[in-house]
Amino acid sequence: MKRCMEKVNDIILEMKDIVKDFPGVRALDGVNFEAKKGEILALVGENGAGKSTLMKILSGVYPYKTYEGEVIIYGERERFYRTLDAQQKGIAIIHQELNLIPKLSVAENIFLGNERTRFGVIDYEQILVETKRVLKKLGIELDPETKIIDLGIGKQQMVEIAKALRVKAQILILDEPTSALSDKEIKLLFDTLRALKEQGVTSIYISHKLEEVFEISERIVVLRDGKTVGGGDTSKLTIGEVVAMMVGRKIEEMFPKEKPAFKDVLLKVKNFSVDHPFLPGEKVVQDINFEVRAGEVLGIAGLMGSGRSELVTALFGAFPADTSGEIYIRGKKVKIKSPYCAIREGIGLATEDRKQFGLILQMSVKENISIAMLKSLCRFGIIDEIEDRKLTERFVDELKIKTPDIETKVDNLSGGNQQKVILARWLATNPKILILDEPTRGVDVGAKVEIYKIMNELAGEGIAIIMVSSSLPEVLKMSDRILVMKEGELKKELNTIDATQELIMGFATG
Amino acid sequence: MIKQIKLKEYGILIALILIAIILSIATEGVFCSARNLTNLTRQVTDIGILALGMTYVILLAEIDLSVGSVVAVTGVIAATLQVNNFGVLPTVLITLIAGLIIGMWNGFWVAHYKIHSFIITLGMMVIARGLALIIAKGASIGPTSIGFQKIGKSFIEPNITLTLLIIFFSLYLFSILRKRKKRSEHNLENPPIISESFKILAVLILLSLLGWVFCSEKGIPTPVIIWIILAGLGIFILNKVPFGRYLYAIGGNIEAAKLSGIKVKQVKFIVFTISGVLAATSGIILTSRLNGAAPSTLGVMYELDAIASVVIGGTSLLGGVGHITGTIIGTFLIGILSNGMSLMGIPTDWQNIAKGLIIVFAAWFDIRTKGRR
Repeated sequence: MKRCMEKVNDIILEMKDIVKDFPGVRALDGVNFEAKKGEILALVGENGAGKSTLMKILSGVYPYKTYEGEVIIYGERERFYRTLDAQQKGIAIIHQELNLIPKLSVAENIFLGNERTRFGVIDYEQILVETKRVLKKLGIELDPETKIIDLGIGKQQMVEIAKALRVKAQILILDEPTSALSDKEIKLLFDTLRALKEQGVTSIYISHKLEEVFEISERIVVLRDGKTVGGGDTSKLTIGEVVAMMVGRKIEEMFPKEKPAFKDVLLKVKNFSVDHPFLPGEKVVQDINFEVRAGEVLGIAGLMGSGRSELVTALFGAFPADTSGEIYIRGKKVKIKSPYCAIREGIGLATEDRKQFGLILQMSVKENISIAMLKSLCRFGIIDEIEDRKLTERFVDELKIKTPDIETKVDNLSGGNQQKVILARWLATNPKILILDEPTRGVDVGAKVEIYKIMNELAGEGIAIIMVSSSLPEVLKMSDRILVMKEGELKKELNTIDATQELIMGFATG
Repeated sequence: MIKQIKLKEYGILIALILIAIILSIATEGVFCSARNLTNLTRQVTDIGILALGMTYVILLAEIDLSVGSVVAVTGVIAATLQVNNFGVLPTVLITLIAGLIIGMWNGFWVAHYKIHSFIITLGMMVIARGLALIIAKGASIGPTSIGFQKIGKSFIEPNITLTLLIIFFSLYLFSILRKRKKRSEHNLENPPIISESFKILAVLILLSLLGWVFCSEKGIPTPVIIWIILAGLGIFILNKVPFGRYLYAIGGNIEAAKLSGIKVKQVKFIVFTISGVLAATSGIILTSRLNGAAPSTLGVMYELDAIASVVIGGTSLLGGVGHITGTIIGTFLIGILSNGMSLMGIPTDWQNIAKGLIIVFAAWFDIRTKGRR
């Protein structure tokens, strides 16, 4: 037995025949998974493929006995009843949303719940010394006394990693770590992961962004519908092959674009400025001028914080600060003071953060879809239930929303289908102008293509679409015209034919 | 929305029935006598009506602590008007308007200045009690006119009660048949006949029970009829009117609700106004039944009983989840406990402890059934 173990001693983690059921769904169906010491392993798959569920089993979020199968670490069968058990075995998970306390310092956060004390009093200096040591190990230059609130998201993530390493993590799980990071920050993260690899730490990297996966990982494991469907050494795979494994079919055309035929100007924005919500005198959007025509897709590109989202939210009357400038819809000057006014003027806005600003999770698919136009479903002030159902069923059908039932809570749907529910909500209001802020964020590849198709169909029906996106390929392939924003100002308007990723990035950063 | 709360509602319902059985045995049948049950139902209406408004408030993830004091001040206003020989109708109208204004005040501050309702209604709780004492000059006010007393004391005669129950059941049956017909016309699936029949049977049993309780005495008490009508209206608005759907949306995700074009401020304002008017209704009924109003004791702690009824009934304090049916069951649970323990001769102090424990237990049960997340 001992000799046998030595032979395979570079495999530190094995998960065998893992089966996990949720009411009505089998999330994992006999998954086998292993990781070697000091490797960077990518776990990829569409939303709902079971990546997160698998990692939640590994990190003890789903306790032993709520699943079938074995978790073996260093050749020993482990039974994690809670996350603390997993932590003690050296497993740390960094979630998409960070769990730091903003008003505390880096050092205090890293040692939270584990304060070094002398005679019951916190020994702050000791904490600082140890924090410095951990940060050095990670190769990060950071003052341990900085408050979290003063750090960018990228640095905050480093602090999370440092926190995980303080408890001597051997296996580090990163769930979509780069979704909020800039390119520079991503580079920093990758450097850190490589430094950790040198120290023998295994990283399991979950991501949608295949370019990143190919850059950082040595091995890829692909999950689909709760099963391991393939993978291998990254160097021997191509992005196309991985995508095919993920969706189970070949995706020929990621961006099905139909020929546009533009008509009259639907929306015209003149000298539009938006005040800063807290700082008097400052502006988050300055002197923007643009127009959108019926049937056109206008892309808005720019870095995070360039004022893209602020611009569209303010146009929709939902930004909590004063605006100035003029808005014309079909040539008629309008005042938009609230989302209520915006909807009446025929504007719809699907916000970037679905869960926070879009969905009402306790409510059903049906209730979520009809909420913005409920009054038009009424007869004598009473909701016509039959019409309500018919409307929802029509959209579930047209947008191919995968849901067991229209009464299902929207919380139970996958990211892509939730996004479609939001789309359906706005389509139900019969908008003339549809603003989509990051329409495919956190959405799997298959649903992405479907959302693009829907957008093209809508444009074909003469709806003007404004799309804000961080994904440059998406902006380039979907839009007819592109606005590039930087620091609240409109830097450049480009025709898509003339635009390249480099050009856009140039204007966005330069 | 309805499916999700069923299990929890049944849990509370079963608790209610169990307690009723235990109390019946402990009091050797006195508890389940028609006379006691009639009394009990009439007693719980005060809290029951407040709890209806409180359900709306809590669905929005807000709270209204002022209702008990509003009962007092509106009660005192009604009694003062009565003593000054105002007619029944003017008394009722003026008192309701007083409740409306107080509710609008609460709603205004909560909706437009985004101050937490806990603080605003805590302020009103103290203000309204002070107003009650000032208007009444610190003394009890009464008596009221015979006409006014009828609101809280009279009964709908047994034969009319019976007719009402039969009409109600026919309407219920008719609405189910109509719904089934309309659904099948539009090729929508109908719930299976068997489960629907069970539902109808359950309603029939409940109505027969009510018929027996009320008709073997003097009929259905007038305040109970008022409560039933208001509750019916409350349920209807929650399920069938956009306003009701908006309550769930705002309580569930206020940002999403705003972005969907819901006028959140307006909805909040209206809900607090409704709560104020319902508190005035309760104040009128209570003053009528007691034949006068004592400013320092009227409605004391009522806000807590109302909140407890709502929470025991399964409405989440976090907003967005809950139902009036649950609230009604919660109201009865609290009412039965007081009534049963009084019958058993348990002193009020101990009753309070038991009530408090039940509230804690209900909250724990609420968390348990929701699961950890």
